[in-house]
Amino acid sequence: MTGRSLADQQAALVEALTAGRPVPEGFDSFRFEAARLALLRKRAGEVARQWPMLAAGFGDRWKREFSGWAVTRPTQGSLRDGWDLARDLTRRGALPPAAAAELAEREAAWHYDGASSPRSRRFPAVRIAAGAVAVQVAGRVWLPRRP
Amino acid sequence: MAETTYGVGIGWRPEIAGFVEELPGLRFAEVVAESVHAHGELPPGLQVLLDRGVTVIPHGVRLSLGGAELVDADRVEHFAAVASRLGAPLVSEHIAFVRAGGIEAGHLLPLPRTREAVDAVVSNVRRVQSSLPVPIALEPIAALFDWPDDELTEAQFLTEILDRSGARLLLDVANVYANARNRGTDPLDLLDELPLERVAYVHVAGGAEHQGLYHDTHTDAVPQPVLDLVAELCARRRPPALMLERDGDYPPATVLAAELDAIAKASGFPAVT
Repeated sequence: MTGRSLADQQAALVEALTAGRPVPEGFDSFRFEAARLALLRKRAGEVARQWPMLAAGFGDRWKREFSGWAVTRPTQGSLRDGWDLARDLTRRGALPPAAAAELAEREAAWHYDGASSPRSRRFPAVRIAAGAVAVQVAGRVWLPRRP
Repeated sequence: MAETTYGVGIGWRPEIAGFVEELPGLRFAEVVAESVHAHGELPPGLQVLLDRGVTVIPHGVRLSLGGAELVDADRVEHFAAVASRLGAPLVSEHIAFVRAGGIEAGHLLPLPRTREAVDAVVSNVRRVQSSLPVPIALEPIAALFDWPDDELTEAQFLTEILDRSGARLLLDVANVYANARNRGTDPLDLLDELPLERVAYVHVAGGAEHQGLYHDTHTDAVPQPVLDLVAELCARRRPPALMLERDGDYPPATVLAAELDAIAKASGFPAVT
């Protein structure tokens, strides 16, 4: 990476590390991959704190599941990362049942367009995620018991 | 912090707030600056410490002082506001970058040890200093990889940044240990070369080895060689304060207390538990 500006070198390094790209020229590939893995594990831990039921739904497989999904996706913050993953899993019919209520509650409480920070909803909402129903009125969210 | 001796402290985290609050001899703690609201109410456990007269240092993790781009003005403003909010005598951040080209790395990344990188850090640190009510201490990070084009040794790189910025040093002995172990160098060499009179305080943390590399995890026990390094450091020049950093997989209170006691023993400071 000699001869390029620091800004260009740093941008190339971050992109390689977070978007699943090859190890940049001149770097030790074993160590670079170790850093990539450590980064994914750290992110998995942070997302698990924001989305405890999503992580719990995968049990011991959580870090691997998250890392496989996140390896080509730079972080948007742990709230959005978990949300994006939960929506992806829902589309694939693979959201763990234990995580459905957590996602439905958040979908009912917040408006999230998938591209910018979630905002609280100003109006009442009902949202369904993988069979779980959540109702939000005036900021309060609950899961009505199914008949 | 040169004039005051604080002894052994701990990184305050919400998950261990109850434990930290119960430490009878605690005189200082550190909190992640980005986790504190600049103006609203403080987390209850943290307010209790301040009410008790415990010094709380804001520790920034997302300023990206080593980024080639200028440090973000809103982040600097928040950092300074938190320092005032806590009445802190000092703040700290890292010699690292965390984003580039609009992408967040999600972690502290190492800088190439070049003059261009020194210039970038010094320029950002000066910008932050001009907004801060108190001095800043800079922490060298643990790096799993190095850049290929280093022009300076680690000691030269760090000393030049400190000299030119006038910043204090936040020395993380676990990072010194991790880097030396992963590079196959002697951690004592770095201690001998660094300006230890500039150390404001010291981090101590645990880690673990995976596939032959030592990871500075903050979620494992503090290994004996890191405690030995604390003793070596204190034999050269004892810093005014040392603290335990733990960031997850929190052990029972008795285990955390034993780690604080081990740091006290290695440094010769009184136990705070």
